[in-house]
Amino acid sequence: MNIALAILWKDLITEWRARDRVIAMLLFSLLTAVIFYFALPDQRPETLRALTPGLLWTAYLFAAILGLNRSFALELENEALSGLALAPGGRGWIFLGKMAANFILLSLVQVLTALAFAIFYGIDFGSSIGELSLTIGLATLGICSVGTLLAAMAVRTRLREVLLPILLLPALVPILAGAVRATLSVMAGEELPFSAIQLLIVIDGIYLVVSFLGFDYILDE
Amino acid sequence: MTQNTNSSSHPTASLHEGLSPLEERVGRWRVFVGVGLALVTIVYAWAVVQAPVDSSQGIIQKILYVHPPLAYGAYLGFVITAIGGFLYLWRGREDFDRLAVSGAEVGVLFCTLMLITGPIWARGTWGRWWSWDPRLTVTLLLWFVYLAYLLLRSFAGPGPRTARFAAVYSMVGLVLIPLNYYVIEIFDNRSMHPDNLEKGSLGDGMGWPFLMGNLALGFAFVYLLLLRWDVEARRLFERRREAEQDVDQ
Repeated sequence: MNIALAILWKDLITEWRARDRVIAMLLFSLLTAVIFYFALPDQRPETLRALTPGLLWTAYLFAAILGLNRSFALELENEALSGLALAPGGRGWIFLGKMAANFILLSLVQVLTALAFAIFYGIDFGSSIGELSLTIGLATLGICSVGTLLAAMAVRTRLREVLLPILLLPALVPILAGAVRATLSVMAGEELPFSAIQLLIVIDGIYLVVSFLGFDYILDE
Repeated sequence: MTQNTNSSSHPTASLHEGLSPLEERVGRWRVFVGVGLALVTIVYAWAVVQAPVDSSQGIIQKILYVHPPLAYGAYLGFVITAIGGFLYLWRGREDFDRLAVSGAEVGVLFCTLMLITGPIWARGTWGRWWSWDPRLTVTLLLWFVYLAYLLLRSFAGPGPRTARFAAVYSMVGLVLIPLNYYVIEIFDNRSMHPDNLEKGSLGDGMGWPFLMGNLALGFAFVYLLLLRWDVEARRLFERRREAEQDVDQ
């Protein structure tokens, strides 16, 4: 448990000092929001409102992939990854620390991206902020758990940045389906659909367990 | 496996070095399966030709004798990959990893053929090539997962690390199958895909060509799996031999 906290702290401090990963993710998702605007069939308010959940989640996924790709890049230098593998205690805890750091950084980017969507697309997120946060939090937990596992693999292959989205996107389809469905309902002023939340919780549970156990085989000396 | 200490002078002896007892038998099994495949294929071809033409769908209905057996093979391949991966992680035996990669490649082949034959049938019957039907969607996603699996293997190069990566990824792929079905059950339960055969959708005289189709493609699946497994095992032998030659020089 201490290992997880130590890794989390280390990753957050490193990011605070460099601030490169969050800024890159944020700029990227803001640019995505701008590009989507020009890709839409028309710019009427109702069109924007209807398409925002899907576009928002697409921006989130792309930003997540960008950030996850860099999650282990630093650890490659000076064989730091081997050092991590030699740390006493289970490697699953290393995974949890890394995953938590990714979760926090991505959540920060998500909040700022949502703000940008609210301003650019004239969307009012304020009335359903609680339900929306729950949805985004659950989906991001799933994205970060399987994403951290696969990023640790992809970083040690040839063409690493290319491989991660190919490995990760099929695994994110169920999360995207649940998250978009829940966001659509919330933004339409309806109640949070229980089935979507249930689905996200089940996926989170499964991905956390698989990644926690699988990470043991991903790190090596 | 071999008592020879100087194995490099006995190529046939060193061929089996590092192979599991299971793999030593793979080549022999393959011959038997190949003979069975040849015999069954002849009967199968004849059965499909003489099977009655469907009164409503016409000749295109005969894809039924190819398409579902391909689907069974595809799923079987992916399950074999996951089982092989799991056994590799659990027992650490390399032959299980070689079984896993064989399952993935044959599974991708069957899945690709299924994704080609399906739309041809759909164009003739539904009037369009594709529909976002639950079964189609899940199969397409699964196809992507196992292509990614093969890509991961090729980008990571040979070695135990790749085997471990691939095994873990095949576990992720396996949990995705029920998860995707769950997603579709909840959100989009409109299915156009014909139901399974227990419900009696086969007309008179169509049952046994279908059975032969399953048998023939089942044999083809096993044959290709064993062939691929054998190839993978021989590759290991080649790598060892090259390494030995390097040492000799």
